[in-house]
Amino acid sequence: MRTGLKETGAIIFAAAILYAMQRTTPLYSNITSPVSIAGEQGKRTDARAFALAVGDVHLARTVRIERFGQTRTYTTSGVWVLVEAAAEAKRESLTLTSAEWLGPSGLRYSLSQRISTMPAMLPAERLEPGLPKPVLMAFEVPENELAGGTVLVAPSAFTPLGEEVRVAITELAVGDIPGAVTIRRSDGPMPWTLETE
Amino acid sequence: MSVGQRSTLRQRLFAFLVAGLGGLAAAAASFAMTVYEASNSRPTPTVAAGEPIDTGRWVITFRGARTGSVPPTGTEPSQPKTFLMVEFDLDNRSAATSNAFASMFDIDPPITDVQAPAFYLARDKWIASGVHPGIPEHMIAAWEWPKAQPLPQDLRLVVGSQIYKRRDNLYGGSGWFDRDPVAIVALPVKTEMVVGPGQ
Amino acid sequence: MAEAISRAERRRYWLSLAGLGFALPVAVLVHSWESLEAWRSGSDRDPIAVDRGESQRYAGAEWRLTTLSRLPGGSADEAVVLAEFEARIEDPGLLAESPCAVVLTDAEGRRWLPAFLTRPVVRKMQPEAADKPRCGGLAFQGAGTHGTARMAETFVIPATASGLALSVTLANARPRHLLFR
Repeated sequence: MRTGLKETGAIIFAAAILYAMQRTTPLYSNITSPVSIAGEQGKRTDARAFALAVGDVHLARTVRIERFGQTRTYTTSGVWVLVEAAAEAKRESLTLTSAEWLGPSGLRYSLSQRISTMPAMLPAERLEPGLPKPVLMAFEVPENELAGGTVLVAPSAFTPLGEEVRVAITELAVGDIPGAVTIRRSDGPMPWTLETE
Repeated sequence: MSVGQRSTLRQRLFAFLVAGLGGLAAAAASFAMTVYEASNSRPTPTVAAGEPIDTGRWVITFRGARTGSVPPTGTEPSQPKTFLMVEFDLDNRSAATSNAFASMFDIDPPITDVQAPAFYLARDKWIASGVHPGIPEHMIAAWEWPKAQPLPQDLRLVVGSQIYKRRDNLYGGSGWFDRDPVAIVALPVKTEMVVGPGQ
Repeated sequence: MAEAISRAERRRYWLSLAGLGFALPVAVLVHSWESLEAWRSGSDRDPIAVDRGESQRYAGAEWRLTTLSRLPGGSADEAVVLAEFEARIEDPGLLAESPCAVVLTDAEGRRWLPAFLTRPVVRKMQPEAADKPRCGGLAFQGAGTHGTARMAETFVIPATASGLALSVTLANARPRHLLFR
């Protein structure tokens, strides 16, 4: 009788352990997820291979881009999020091809491919060690995913255990979204100017 | 052979038997279920235009089909071509921007010499890239229709589905995996008048 | 139930356990050997130092750095480096199939990859260098079987970088690579 009780106890114990192990095993995507480096808006964040500083973040219903005397209008069904930043390679020349807007509910918004042809867009800029470069990022995000968003930047979206800089966006005027922002090329210290209407 | 040894032997034999019978029963049940499902397959429901279809990863609503000589970009190709265009609304229900809608639906039955369609964003008149979660988009799929093929009067589309697995069976990775088609859509094809250049 | 376990059995048990301690590392090593080998040959560990103006035999050709000059960049912080080098081809077969990687390094160990497009300043100040092909199959084909391939690469670096050296790697000859000081 006593041995029976003992055996039942052992089986229950084993089942409990197996269940706990099954529930707590990290997902494959967790194991291979990038190593994140947290940063603040307005400050330089240093990863091993690159450094990033996120400056102003502008919102707009439409984006106009002036190039070669022509103006193209880019609409969105959400809101345009334009992120002004500076980036620099540290050890070796590289290109930061992956950037995401992580909404407060955990949804991820990749860079909009619509205005990717504009110069100074992050995935098109080759970064050289020792030469910080101003870069622009453009996202299309629905209004309810704006406040409390985070910008994630990495050299590539698919490298397991790669580096990823996360910058929480704290300064963002969500209440008052301008109708249009015009981006012009500039020969000044910044390669573009942003004009809000 | 001592009494103790004989009893352990019997216990072992019993355990083997139980495990073997259990395994057999499981295999038989699984086989029977497969056979049952194959013989009693539910027909894929036919869905009318305008009704939303939940494919798991996407919610898609077909609006209509038409033919034309101008692709959705609005610029006429230098050589005259015929396009078959299907308009639909697409809502990304997953957690990340994705452009995996390209293989979601197909012409049924498949036509071999028709190439895969190009996808356009209607509001932008430009080739669509990823569709963002929570931002439904009005899109157009355009097939370049070969001259040798007659244009269909009615278009049947088969819409596939996908499910999300937190751990897939091979690597334990998370992802979307193809499942059986969830809907057949029949769309009448509106024919555009053949217009000459400059009209 | 509890029966005396014989000494021989006990010894076998411990021997097996000890054997496992040996067999497991060996298994891991055998499995990863190929990857290790690939990693070893993929890294540029073995530089052949070459002084300015001297030539060096490497990967089926005789290599020489002709110029490594600094030109003004787009801003005061920036400089453009123009590297011109040539290869007198001895074994065209060996060269043609080998991708060429050129990297500019400095005293701090930073590495600059060549610019995709030739900078306007190069075209303005060194027009004949701007027309030279970049290092690779095209340059070697253009030179013919036993000709000399003349190549040029441009780099954009900070004006403060010092101790520049040019590293040329042909994939076939890895991990050996040329390092022009």
